[in-house]
Amino acid sequence: MYQPPSLPEKWSQENNELVNKCKQQEAAGGAVSRDHRQSSLRWCSSEFHKLLRKIQGIPPHVDHSQLELAVVYNTCVCFTAQSQFSEAELLLKEATERVLQVTGNNADTSDPLVLWRAGLKSAGNTALHPHVLYLLCLQWALWLAKCQLENIGELQEQMSSLCEIVCDGVGDGSLSEAKGRLSKSPLLVMEPKRLTELLQICTSIAQGAEKLNEGRSSEALSVLQAASALPATRALVAYTHLLSGSCLAHMNRPQMALQCYKRALETDSRCVCALYRSMLIYRQLGNTQAEIQALRLLHSTLMLPPATEPVLGGIQPLSPSLLLSSQSLSRLLSVPSALSVLYSLALKCVLSGRVTEGVEHYLDLLAALHSEDQHAVDAEVSVLPRMPELYLEAGTALLFTRRPADCMAFCNEVISTTLELVPEKVVLEEPEEGIGGDARGLSVEGEDKVAMLLWAAAAYLVQGHCHAHLKDWKQAVTHYTRCINLLVKVHLKNRDFQPQIPAADVNVKHGKDLCTLQRMKGLSLAWRGISFTQMDQLREALRDLQLSLQAFPDYTGAGLWCGEVLWRLGRKHEAAACWEKTWSLTTQTSVEKLPLYLQDPQSGPLLDSVELRFRIQELGLT
Amino acid sequence: VMEGRCAVETWAQFGFSGRSYKVKILCGFGTDVLICTGTEEIYVFSKRERKITASIRFTSDASSSPAELKISQECLVVGADEVSSLLLVGSVLLTLCQRDASWLLTLYKTPKQTASTSHKEFGSFHLPVASAVDCGAAESNRGPRKGSVLICIHSGDVEASSSSNASAESTVAQDHFHLEPLLFKLLFGVEAALAKSPVILCGLPDGRLCFLPLRLPGSRLRVLHSLEQPVCFVGASVVTETGHAQCLVAAGEQGRVALIKTDKAGSEGGSAVAAFTEGCVPGPVWCGCMDKSCFYYSTGADLLRLDLSEGSFARESKERGEETSGTTAAALQSPSSLNVCRVIALAEPACTGDVQLLGVSARGQLQRICLPAGRVDEGSSKLPSTQVSRSVRDLLSAIGDVCERYAPSVLKTVIKSKNQFLRLLNHAVSVSFLLMADTTTDLPIKEKPIRCHFETSWSRLLQKDSLSLVCFLHNSSPFVLERGWTLSITVSPLSYSSSPAGESSSTNFSFPFHDLRPGQTFEASLPIAAAGDASFPMTVSCSLIFSLSSLLGEEEVAASFAGLQSSCISLPLSTLTVDWLHALQLNSPTATHKMATVQPSSAAADSIQTFLSSRQLRCSGRTNRGGESAAKPEPEKYSASVWVSSEIVRDTLKPKKSSNLDAKESIRDPEDLYKIALSTSVAHARGPNGAAMKLTVKEVNHKEATIEVQIESSSLAAVCGLHHAVLRRIQRHRESRLYKECPDFRIKTAFGEVVSTVQRDRLLLSVYQELRRNPLLIV
Repeated sequence: MYQPPSLPEKWSQENNELVNKCKQQEAAGGAVSRDHRQSSLRWCSSEFHKLLRKIQGIPPHVDHSQLELAVVYNTCVCFTAQSQFSEAELLLKEATERVLQVTGNNADTSDPLVLWRAGLKSAGNTALHPHVLYLLCLQWALWLAKCQLENIGELQEQMSSLCEIVCDGVGDGSLSEAKGRLSKSPLLVMEPKRLTELLQICTSIAQGAEKLNEGRSSEALSVLQAASALPATRALVAYTHLLSGSCLAHMNRPQMALQCYKRALETDSRCVCALYRSMLIYRQLGNTQAEIQALRLLHSTLMLPPATEPVLGGIQPLSPSLLLSSQSLSRLLSVPSALSVLYSLALKCVLSGRVTEGVEHYLDLLAALHSEDQHAVDAEVSVLPRMPELYLEAGTALLFTRRPADCMAFCNEVISTTLELVPEKVVLEEPEEGIGGDARGLSVEGEDKVAMLLWAAAAYLVQGHCHAHLKDWKQAVTHYTRCINLLVKVHLKNRDFQPQIPAADVNVKHGKDLCTLQRMKGLSLAWRGISFTQMDQLREALRDLQLSLQAFPDYTGAGLWCGEVLWRLGRKHEAAACWEKTWSLTTQTSVEKLPLYLQDPQSGPLLDSVELRFRIQELGLT
Repeated sequence: VMEGRCAVETWAQFGFSGRSYKVKILCGFGTDVLICTGTEEIYVFSKRERKITASIRFTSDASSSPAELKISQECLVVGADEVSSLLLVGSVLLTLCQRDASWLLTLYKTPKQTASTSHKEFGSFHLPVASAVDCGAAESNRGPRKGSVLICIHSGDVEASSSSNASAESTVAQDHFHLEPLLFKLLFGVEAALAKSPVILCGLPDGRLCFLPLRLPGSRLRVLHSLEQPVCFVGASVVTETGHAQCLVAAGEQGRVALIKTDKAGSEGGSAVAAFTEGCVPGPVWCGCMDKSCFYYSTGADLLRLDLSEGSFARESKERGEETSGTTAAALQSPSSLNVCRVIALAEPACTGDVQLLGVSARGQLQRICLPAGRVDEGSSKLPSTQVSRSVRDLLSAIGDVCERYAPSVLKTVIKSKNQFLRLLNHAVSVSFLLMADTTTDLPIKEKPIRCHFETSWSRLLQKDSLSLVCFLHNSSPFVLERGWTLSITVSPLSYSSSPAGESSSTNFSFPFHDLRPGQTFEASLPIAAAGDASFPMTVSCSLIFSLSSLLGEEEVAASFAGLQSSCISLPLSTLTVDWLHALQLNSPTATHKMATVQPSSAAADSIQTFLSSRQLRCSGRTNRGGESAAKPEPEKYSASVWVSSEIVRDTLKPKKSSNLDAKESIRDPEDLYKIALSTSVAHARGPNGAAMKLTVKEVNHKEATIEVQIESSSLAAVCGLHHAVLRRIQRHRESRLYKECPDFRIKTAFGEVVSTVQRDRLLLSVYQELRRNPLLIV
């Protein structure tokens, strides 16, 4: 006689069909776009939810509780995968309450921790126990995704027993029995064992990051090193190595940190962050060659197309990225954009003397910025300098490689852009600390007039250098003069300091603009003086050099040339004094902090200190 | 073609109608014009064949009717909901949509020819939604979401590099503008200019104009300007020979237009600044388009043209500086009408020669609009618009001056007083209607909108007692009784005989109101008689009088219209008979002078109550039988008595027993009499003429329960007067009972005129019979 299937049977069938469909879609969906995946997930979750509401429409009963819990599990997995955490949490809470009802307990609490303890206890050794544990897994995942690590800590022992049961429990004597039951039991979207494994390592990583963030590096290190032995995907294991490296770097063991980073890279070659961190360590160690190497590698890795997306998760509904969303972790894993890496690389090359290479990188960078494919994608803070500064730096680098014509072209670009906007008069009122930094985000139409002026002036300065390099002294004088003319438009509004005597610590004390202004004044006047010297206009040269020294006393070039001019004018003793004084100035302001275009040009006429000393000696002899 | 008129040629009729903001015309596809209806259809109209050559339909509703739709291939697949506008820049497709609390500008990479059709999203920018801008937000809640505008702006000097996107050239043009480099830099920054980045400009329904340098790393969506009304058009115009637009135009839905130009002679330091000129044009702006020098927009009722180049150019060369903004503003003030109505979509197909526009009318017609050949200003030697507007402004101000000077304050006050007068008249009429309605419907007195009641009191002044009547007028109507209204009270004796001269001895009192507001009560006290010289009973009738003369001002009326003085509206309010009972002065031990009247106060009232309650117990259960009165005059003392069935008294007393009796009622009803007497059983009183009198009330068990009221006095007048008063009241009481018992009579009497004499006789007979049946009262 035909018996129509009972309701639970029908539901169970429905659930299994849905699970199979989901798995099919996932299997097929590996290649399909994210959008598609999202929509199929949405469909699944709504279907599961519908089924669940049907099942929960009748009072809980032991007979179909297993089925109900399985459907709750499936629904929650789908919800969680779509980041609908609150919905999932609500379902879990309801499910636990229903479990309590079935087992004849009731909890009046709304505290999830208490509820879970009660639920686990009441499920005890019944057939429901594994299913309740599965749900606990999901709760764990939710807490992890919401970065509520303290909750996980609270249920530490339940979790560890859960791990034992879920992961190893299959192995004990009840294997066959379990198998037998499994054949009947409803299907699950995601295997609880895999979920547990994933959760374990992700929790360790998140905890490690949290501890590292709080400065408890050694604790973090032990957690992470334990986690690195856990079964997981390569990417996750690489993370544990990477974070261990960060811990070691914190604990001032750069070499060991480097080892860890290396291991991370060996584990997962796409772990860019390890590369970046190693680069930072090389920089810290002062190993420029290695740093440049690392930057280059980093850049080329970043430029690789992010083609095959499923690096992390495989084709599981719950991806590690969902579970690892804590801020401290993302801060630790963040990597600057390819462009800023390229910029660092270029600058580093130029500063470390690999100018030709540096120029290539600069040109690459500008080309990338102008390419059609470049788009203002991420609003993340960019470490790139502003556009005109980039032009000027590239131009200066070109000049270093003796390509003055190209350099001049760059400068012309900057001048043509900015000159129209330079006002007749600018008041430079030094803002309090910290305000100047945000100029980028500030107004646009009122874009910092001072910056505009300084850019134009710097462009003229660099053009002057170009002409000086070409020994076209007249042109050089013209351009330096233009630079000076622009610079004198800036009126300093002094609050409580004397701009006439900028001390060496001006750099620190008063904003960047003032420092740039004074430095530029010093440079342009000095170099005009030097140009005049070359044209044998010694009086003008002396005047300019002395003015330069007034504006920027630290500039040794001006001091030396001032002495030279004095010498040529026959004021030999004064010249000697001037040289001596200049040599005694050892306060070499850190060149690295200055923009490239404000550094002393490496070309042009040079004075040999040895020769000068020799002259002084001679003078002393006579 | 008439001078100054446009030639409108209808090209095609589409199968849609109704006002939709979402219709778009897209040109720049060779000879084809695309018309997006905003629903699921796109028509392709071929200019060469002059007919619709194709229509594209979307079968799925995935494309949720974007306001702008570019079709470079047959299908673009971007699964995004509620996209309010899109734009194609090179290989990048941008969509703008509102998600929850922010605007989302999403960038998609278009696939390179052979790749899959789906576009890859690679970036998005958020901008928080501004707090609702007045009506715009409210409307957007109700109706469909307002569209947004997306355009792309290139710096003028980047043209060389822009040839690289020549592939996309055919599809762009309409939403891409090349802006003069200086203005570009001023608005969007040097960095965008150096990066040769196109800038995306979007106009949002909340009125903001936002921009995003597309290719600058780390750039954000920033606000350029806010129109404070939904932006419905953004474009650039005033194109120079080099092909660079010099003016950025943004138009809001309600007609606010912002012109953004370079101000070469900037305010400080002589550097250029971007000048924002805002003005309002006659709105609403339904749609708009630009050509090389003009902004055309449709208000629905008309198609208007704003010439942006004219003037601002010519003058700028001559007089620089602040003139610029002045002329621009002037340009905003003088849009010229093109006399084409109901245009809901506009496009400028950028053809050379004559200016031609393509429009879609609200009826769904594709129209070609040819503007009059040659500029209007060439035809007539008319002044530059700026001068015209200036002279018009002068004229207007002159008119204003004259108006100020020659319209003296007298005229104003006359107008004002006339208005006041009309208002008062209106009130008067309203009040009249109110009172007239009063008399026809039969409201209980307490509910009448304007009612008055009286109280009498004896007062002693200079050894002389005098009876005064206090009249309370309560205004519960919604109108103010103000200047022009008078309360008039006429007191006249019921019988004239006493007057020696034989003439009417009525007295008139009038009390003008000043400002009796709704809810207020007016109180007037008038002396009726001094002791001894009064003839009671007397009738007091009061009425409200509205006089025109007082309204107009006495002196004027007196001077000009003597006859008008009497012209007034009189509205009767109520009438009262003041009889001996009213004027009685009780001599009870507790009674002071004031106790004479029947004020239910203090000890007297209490004793009345106690008496009544005891009396009533005894009376209850008696049958209803009338009494009989008989005058039994005696030689030295006159006396009269009235028998009343105690039933009557009790009936009427019962419901009112506990309530605090209203003075005006109490004085008229028999129970008062009863009370007066019963309070002491014997009341000694003095009549208004000073005669002492005694009022005795006793219960006589004649046949049934009857009360005998006996009046004794040595003065015949007093006995008669009081007897009359008592009888009158009982009679009135009886009458009102009668009305209740045979309503028929009442109705008929109410229409007194209609009832014929025969009928009346019959009626009276029946009344008589009625009375006989219940023989309560025999005088």
